[in-house]
Amino acid sequence: MDKFKLEILTPNGEIFDGEVVSVTLPGEEGEFGVLAGHASLTTLLTSGVIDVEKEDKTVEAIVINWGVVQVDEGKVIILVEGAAAIRGADEAEIAQALEDAKKLISDVADSSSAIASVSAKIESAAQRLI
Amino acid sequence: MANLKDIQRQIKSVSNTQKTTRAMKLVSTAKLRRAEELARRSRLYAQKMNQVIAEIAGRINCAKVGGIENRCFNKIENPKMVDIVFVTADKGLCGGFNIKTIKAVKTLIKSYKEKNVKVRLRGIGKKGVEFFKYNEVELFDSVVNLSSKPDKARSDEYIRTSIMDFKDGKTDALHIIYNGYKNMITQELHVNKILPIDTDEFECEDSHSSMLEIEAQNEEVMLDSLVNKYVDYNMYYALIDSLAAEHSSRMQAMDTATNNAKEMVKSLNVKFNKARQASITTELIEIISGVESMK
Repeated sequence: MDKFKLEILTPNGEIFDGEVVSVTLPGEEGEFGVLAGHASLTTLLTSGVIDVEKEDKTVEAIVINWGVVQVDEGKVIILVEGAAAIRGADEAEIAQALEDAKKLISDVADSSSAIASVSAKIESAAQRLI
Repeated sequence: MANLKDIQRQIKSVSNTQKTTRAMKLVSTAKLRRAEELARRSRLYAQKMNQVIAEIAGRINCAKVGGIENRCFNKIENPKMVDIVFVTADKGLCGGFNIKTIKAVKTLIKSYKEKNVKVRLRGIGKKGVEFFKYNEVELFDSVVNLSSKPDKARSDEYIRTSIMDFKDGKTDALHIIYNGYKNMITQELHVNKILPIDTDEFECEDSHSSMLEIEAQNEEVMLDSLVNKYVDYNMYYALIDSLAAEHSSRMQAMDTATNNAKEMVKSLNVKFNKARQASITTELIEIISGVESMK
C-alpha cells in the first residue's frame, strides 16, 4: 500500500506526525477518506473522530472539535483546535483518554444525536485497544 | 562619625535591593521557561495556519477559485477607520519592553493620522492602557489581566468585536502590535496587519496549486469560519508570545539591576574604607598633637 505523511497539529503541539496508509475525516458535509495520491483539497472539519490507519494496519482514533484539513499530494496537514487521541499503554490510560475525548465532544456538539454517534465511535475505538 | 554611619546604611539598602532584584530574576526565569514552552508548542500551529490562509489568499489572487466575495481578502482603498490592538504587560520592571510597543503604536497612529484615517485603539495590558490614558489618547476599550494570563476563550471574545466590525464595514483594517519572543535575550516587535489579508503578497507559481479545490458547498461559509479562526489564533498567539517576551525582558532587566547593585556596593565599600581610614588618621593626629602640646 502506498503511504503518505500525516500531520495533526493543535495549538498545544503536535498530536500526530507520521506515515499513514489512509485517514478518515469528519468533513463539514460528511465523512470522507483520504488515500495516498488524493487530489489537493482544502476543507473544514466538524467535531468528530479522525481514524488514522497506520502502516501496521492498526487504527488510531483521534477526537477533534473543529479543524481544517489541507490535502496535498503526498502530504496531509490537519489543523485542529482541540484534540484527544484514544491511546494509552494500559486500560487506565485508555479510560482516561476516553474521558478527555468525551468531555471535548460534549463541550462543542450541540445536538445530542451528534454526541451519541461520536461517543459510540469513541467507545468502539477504545474497545479495539482493550 | 555620622558620615560612616550614612555610608553603612547606604550599603545595607543597596544590598537589600540587590536581593530583591535577584529574586525577581529567578522568578522570571522560572516563568519564562513555562511561557516559552507554551509559545514554542503553538508556533508550528500558527505557522501552518498562516500558510493555509496564505495559500487560499494566493489562490484568490490568481482567481483560480472564482466567485468569492469576501471582505477579508479584498484590498480596501482609502481606509476610513482602522483598528489597532496592542499587547503590553500588566506589570512593569521589565526594561524597555512596554515602551517599545507603545512607541510602535504611536508611530502607526501618527502615520494613519497623516492620511486622515481615524484610528480606534484597543489595548491589552495595564501598562499600555495606563500610558495612553495618562497621555489622554482615547482608547476604544481595554482589558487588563489578559496578557499576564493568556486564555483562549477570553482572547477570542475580545477580538470578536474587531472581526465583526471589520466584516460589517465599520473598520477597514486590523493591526495587532506586540513585542514577541525571539530568544532568551532579544525580543522582536511585531506590527502585524491581520485584516484585510493581503492577497498580493502571495504568488501563484507552483503548478500543483491549480489542482486545489475547496470542497465545500458553501465556500464563503468556509472562508468565513477560517478567517475567524485565523484572527482568533493570531490574537492568542500574540498574547502568549508577548508573555514569553515579557518574562525574558524582565529577566534581563533584573539581571542588569543586580549587577548594577553589585557595582554600587563595591564602590560604596571603597568609600566606606576610605572614610574609616580618614577618621582613624584624624584621631591619631589629635592624640599626637595633644601629647606634643603637653610637653
